[in-house]
Amino acid sequence: MAFYTRMGDGKRVEMTREAIIDDIRAGMADAADMGGIPDLTEDDIAIITDIVACNDRMVGVAPGEEIVLTYDIGQLDFTGDNGNSGNGVDMGRLEAALLHERALGADTFELAHSDYSIKPVKPVISMEMQTMEEIQAEIVAPYFYGAMPNCGLYYAPDGPYGNPADLMREFKIDEAMAAAEAAADHVARDIEYVTTRLIQAGADGFNFDTTGSAGDADCVGTLNGVRMLREACPDAYINVGMAGESVMGIHGMIEFDGQIVAGLYPHQQVKLAQKAGASVFGAVCNTNTSKSLAWNLGRSVTFIKECVNQAEIPVHVDMGMGVGGIPMLETPPIDAVSRCNKAMVEVAHVDGV
Amino acid sequence: MKKEVFKLAFEAETKNIHDAMIAVMVPGIVKSVNEAVAAGMDPNDIINTMGDAMSEVGVMFERGKLFLPHVLSAAAGMTKAMEILTPLMQNESGSTEKKASVVMGTVEGDVHDIGKSICSTMLQCAGYDIHDLGRDVPKQKFIDEVKGGCTYCGMSALMTTTMTVMKEVIDMLEAEGVRGNVKVLVGGAPITQGYADKIGADIYGESASETTRKVKATS
Repeated sequence: MAFYTRMGDGKRVEMTREAIIDDIRAGMADAADMGGIPDLTEDDIAIITDIVACNDRMVGVAPGEEIVLTYDIGQLDFTGDNGNSGNGVDMGRLEAALLHERALGADTFELAHSDYSIKPVKPVISMEMQTMEEIQAEIVAPYFYGAMPNCGLYYAPDGPYGNPADLMREFKIDEAMAAAEAAADHVARDIEYVTTRLIQAGADGFNFDTTGSAGDADCVGTLNGVRMLREACPDAYINVGMAGESVMGIHGMIEFDGQIVAGLYPHQQVKLAQKAGASVFGAVCNTNTSKSLAWNLGRSVTFIKECVNQAEIPVHVDMGMGVGGIPMLETPPIDAVSRCNKAMVEVAHVDGV
Repeated sequence: MKKEVFKLAFEAETKNIHDAMIAVMVPGIVKSVNEAVAAGMDPNDIINTMGDAMSEVGVMFERGKLFLPHVLSAAAGMTKAMEILTPLMQNESGSTEKKASVVMGTVEGDVHDIGKSICSTMLQCAGYDIHDLGRDVPKQKFIDEVKGGCTYCGMSALMTTTMTVMKEVIDMLEAEGVRGNVKVLVGGAPITQGYADKIGADIYGESASETTRKVKATS
């Protein structure tokens, strides 16, 4: 008997139960090998197999097993174009916040700049503080501010430091490393500037989205910024969400708290986030579009389960297009989204998505 | 039989070059190559040894055990070594020409740079002549580079709203009558094998390593 499932690019395919199990095992083996982490148990594999090999359009968790549901990117969920996973529905930021709280069942939500990066918030910080204050007066759910550290904006041509990628191609490796270190210091300063002001304006917390997207210096700069925020605002809720399952080594040697961050996997990343002062860690595993959903889910759950096992803070796994086993598609198919989420709850035992 | 004898004769030098490449330290690579030359090892065999080790460095990069600066250090060491070996090879009428020319860029309207840059670097390390145009590259610039002799055209996009530009460039290559002269490679977060097939690209790269492997396989 063949079951309806998908490839990592969203293409519909049919697979037998045996083929699904083989792919789950192969994905698991890849994660275990790359991360140096344990395999899933036979029980885990059986649960994931049942989740994937199910003909229902959607699946879900049992009553009482529900977990925290947090949305990122603020009002852009609605107002963004469909290339940005939005719906192209124009509305104000207050209306978007209230719709997430009252219609979509969001347990937390956030305010965000349309560029969704730290740097462009600086020149409009007063306006963002005012908006935060106004929406806090209406909303009941915890309401954060969210942004990507996005260290790429600090490199040429957008920022003051040389672009490491360009410098390295000219074999100017020391200069590339120095530029990355300077950018990391700069993004940390900007994080402190932006986040402390928004917390002062009433934000319940801060969501650092796609930490490390520009590589290991981006990750170190963010963690240093998180540490500054924690020192300035001891009670702030801080979510450190990652950009990928492994920290890209653009610098290669840059450290946080004596630890080289390049090449760290989720179970190692979470320990640095804890040290920096994060309240919650957003673990990520990227989807391979050429492999099946079963392969990607087996791989993702293996990484995230070990992260949860080693974490001392709650882990909210990043689930969306191209992450968490979910196919890379503008509008991720609900059959795949619900299956991946169920597996993350029942096998990886995540605290939120 | 002769080859086996040769291998035994330069076993230590081969191992030293290999180990120096894996250690990704430029002075160590240059030292090991100088020693191999002094011992009489054929320059072509030295290059092959470095090439094999470079492939290993690429695998370690793909597995997250080494990172871009390390790959670059190994490549820089290899470049320095070539400065030593090239005069020797020219004396023996050897060839030290670059492989094919590759134009690389992130398509018009898209400012995401890192993935494309890593691809460019990996291809450069593999010996290709890279013309990296950066990001937000006007479509015509790709066409101009192909007309100028590039036989590979690499395009990257990180957004679903900009990936459509890849098809427009391919159509322009057709319209200008140069599509047959060039292999088109595409990549980036929203790009899939299915999309590459749909727009008529020749190569889809899931990662920098895979892109390099596929380009090498076709050149």
